[in-house]
Amino acid sequence: MKPEPARVVVVGGGPAGLSAALNAALSGASVLLIDSSSRLGGQYWRHLPETWLEQSELHLDLDTGLLLISAVANHPKIEIWSGAEIWSATHEDGAATLRLITNGVEKIITTKALVLATGAYDRTLPFPGWDIPGVMTPGGAQSLIKGNGIAVGKRVVVAGSGPFLLPVAAGLAQVGCEVIELLEANSPLRWLKSLPTLIQNLSKIGEAAHYIAIFNRFGVRPKFNRAVVAAHANQDGELESVSIAKIDSNFKIKKIERVKCDVAAIGWGFTADTSLAGALLLKQLVTKDEGVAVLVDENQESSIAGIFAAGEITGIGGSELSIAEGVIAGLAAAKYIGCKAEISNNHHKTRAKKQKFAKALISSYPVKSGWQSWLTDETIICRCEEVKYSKLKFAVTELGATDSRTAKLLSRCGMGMCQGRICGRFVVDLVANESGISPSDISEKERISVGNRPIITPISIELLANGE
Amino acid sequence: MNSPDVIVIGAGVVGASCALALTNAGLRVLIIDRGPVASGTSGAGEGNILVSDKEPSPELTLALRSRNAWFEVNEDIGGGFELDGKGGVVISRSETGIAGLKKLAKAQRENGIDAREVNAAELRKLEPHISPTIEYGVYYPQDAQCQPMLAAAQMIRAVKKRGGKFVQGENVIAINSKNGQLTGLTTNKNTYSSPIVLNATGTWAGDIAKLAGSYLPIAPRRGFILVTVPAPELIFHKVYDADYVANIASGEADLQSSAVVEGTASGTILIGASRERVGFKSEFEIPILRQLAQQAISVFPILKELQLLRAYRGFRPYAPDHLPVIGEDGNISGLWHAAGHEGAGIVLAPATAELITAEILGKTPFMDPTPFSPKRFMNQNPSAGVNVAS
Amino acid sequence: MLTLLVKPSASITFTFNDLEVSAIPGQSVGAALLAAGDRVLRVTRFEKKPRAMFCGIGVCFDCLVVIDGAPNQRACITEVKAKMVVRTQVGGA
Repeated sequence: MKPEPARVVVVGGGPAGLSAALNAALSGASVLLIDSSSRLGGQYWRHLPETWLEQSELHLDLDTGLLLISAVANHPKIEIWSGAEIWSATHEDGAATLRLITNGVEKIITTKALVLATGAYDRTLPFPGWDIPGVMTPGGAQSLIKGNGIAVGKRVVVAGSGPFLLPVAAGLAQVGCEVIELLEANSPLRWLKSLPTLIQNLSKIGEAAHYIAIFNRFGVRPKFNRAVVAAHANQDGELESVSIAKIDSNFKIKKIERVKCDVAAIGWGFTADTSLAGALLLKQLVTKDEGVAVLVDENQESSIAGIFAAGEITGIGGSELSIAEGVIAGLAAAKYIGCKAEISNNHHKTRAKKQKFAKALISSYPVKSGWQSWLTDETIICRCEEVKYSKLKFAVTELGATDSRTAKLLSRCGMGMCQGRICGRFVVDLVANESGISPSDISEKERISVGNRPIITPISIELLANGE
Repeated sequence: MNSPDVIVIGAGVVGASCALALTNAGLRVLIIDRGPVASGTSGAGEGNILVSDKEPSPELTLALRSRNAWFEVNEDIGGGFELDGKGGVVISRSETGIAGLKKLAKAQRENGIDAREVNAAELRKLEPHISPTIEYGVYYPQDAQCQPMLAAAQMIRAVKKRGGKFVQGENVIAINSKNGQLTGLTTNKNTYSSPIVLNATGTWAGDIAKLAGSYLPIAPRRGFILVTVPAPELIFHKVYDADYVANIASGEADLQSSAVVEGTASGTILIGASRERVGFKSEFEIPILRQLAQQAISVFPILKELQLLRAYRGFRPYAPDHLPVIGEDGNISGLWHAAGHEGAGIVLAPATAELITAEILGKTPFMDPTPFSPKRFMNQNPSAGVNVAS
Repeated sequence: MLTLLVKPSASITFTFNDLEVSAIPGQSVGAALLAAGDRVLRVTRFEKKPRAMFCGIGVCFDCLVVIDGAPNQRACITEVKAKMVVRTQVGGA
């Protein structure tokens, strides 16, 4: 293999990746930006093709996004590979090798400086009927609005926990869906905890006011301490109604009512997409929301020199924190290959402020273990392999599994096409509970190893065979 | 149960088989593993129950008995481990390869294996998607497959129901003996006394022998397996290239690989098999994965249309003479070994358990166990011999 | 209502289970089908249950369809192209 030019490779075209790419390029580095989506922007600035008409009302700050996207797209030092999926990554002798598929062709690149900004996806919890067509994640509903300009259904229930439910419910209402319920599982009193931090981030109060105005316009009344605990299908097997429960502070069911709807968008915050970081064997840690994040130092550098990480994979924190981290990571990566780049105190201060806010938010929206009581023996746990709760319990109680890896191999939970991206995180909790291990005693290794998948995304056997 | 009749170290398929046979013989068995069930080599293989890859030898006698014993175990414990007597097909494309395969099949037939030569047309009836370049094969109806982790877990479940015990997450740190007679063992958490300890730790069996002050030259031979996305029924038997047999017997340390392809109960297709001696090197080596994919496509071109979903690697435990190590230790009375089965641990497990059980109880085993005896390594000087950890 | 719903007039057509569906360039296969009223994209391989888009961003692999003969294509992230032949995926296809 011939030596690669000195450049920074950035993976991910969302707020963190775009900021990293632009700042590395502005520092004089050549940049290759790899994004799995066909259009830059990530999930946050997912947008319609430029041929479409006005869409900015669906985004609070799409203008920022479009400016950043166009700055990146037009920068002479930035090369962009869109629609490129990395299936394998390794690190050897101070350089990372990425193997990726783009336009049906495999490409292999090596780089000394790498910025990972692979983002996050909705955190989900299983419940009876969550596999019925019509039940989806809030992120999924939003991508259909923001990226495709379509309404997902007529009567929509938005539920789960976390601030992300607000823009999703607002967006659904704006494109003509009837948002019949907006349900937050936690109590509004929890917000008081984050009040001091909220006051320091006034723009967030403006954001909340913006959504409340939309809710008032469309008659959406948010309710608290409520969750969708079951979904029910009509005779075609599609969503007909959901069971909405009033729940206590530990998420245990107090009272249930049935509501007719054709879409239920349910999410519980986010799970960082650490597959690539895991393949590169970067050190990871467990975050306050029992998620996993890549460990980074003050300059966003990971446990491996030359590999930087920014955005949601270093801890869920939203777009503003992602941008702050992306800027630092881009500058640090450029510096790493010898460009003149200065990371100032201001950069660190901005990031610290956003980090504080993110931490406060996470503690306002916990996921309490009472959700496990919503399950029945028949509830699907692994959607891909159609593994029922009874089978997972059998793997623990009868077959002796005490860790999620063994439970997975004995029950097939997490062995399907998504490679445990959806069920892996909560299977850890279910296995621990069944084994009599309290949530706080679940080891870091157990939570981190769930994201361990050496084959990051499926690759055609033919491409694999034909590669170098 | 702090003083069982037998302590089995290792909760893989071999350890679980032995524990089941010993329990069924009326002994009180304690199984100890440093990790969860089947967390070593048993959890990283295809679940081969093959007689087709064995040349006439004591190992073939063991394999033939063991293959049938698997179906008896299935009956005994009520199944639950995807045992499937689907049969195997061995193919060859070169003139010399075909001649060798014919000769092997003839010798196998004379030794009780059902080995049927099949021509191009018959081959296509068995495997409709096989490459048009393949015109000769041997069909082995006795070849079978199981899900090895489930097999180990289900056998241990039966052992527990029948009075035995399984302790996981305890690492053996000492094998205790008094006046040359074994008295038990100590883990990082407990001490257990027992007159008999059975070392069924596979690739790590040399470490246990060493703890006891004895010696076993068992080392890892790494292998990779590719797993495809679930596919509709495409491949019906275990299909492999005759080169595989030669690779198993090879003494080379370098990478050898040959096409081994089969479907599974869950719908995925497994693609193997590579063999190399690189110690416990765990990195995923993409060139090997590519080579496995190439070889599989050459046998089943339709695999081009599928995707790779997962890959995993395991470490087969091999002894220098490629024979398993079954029987009492030559130096320490009361220490027994059932290890070193290389890539045949799954198929050989139940018959290994029968040999061990018969010998421990002083009964006449179904075959002469001498070729497998650990005593064959007694006169080897560890410092001059194979390095256990190499 | 938003100007968002004033969509580009240019449209392309493709087929889903042999029936013609129109789409707007830039849409995903899954979005175009949902807009046309086809929500169920896949039938599971064990229990033969219907499935639709779930995560919507390429993570969950629940929206698998057969596109131009190739199974296991994620409808939610595959951009629709004129004359595509899309089919419901049954099991592993």
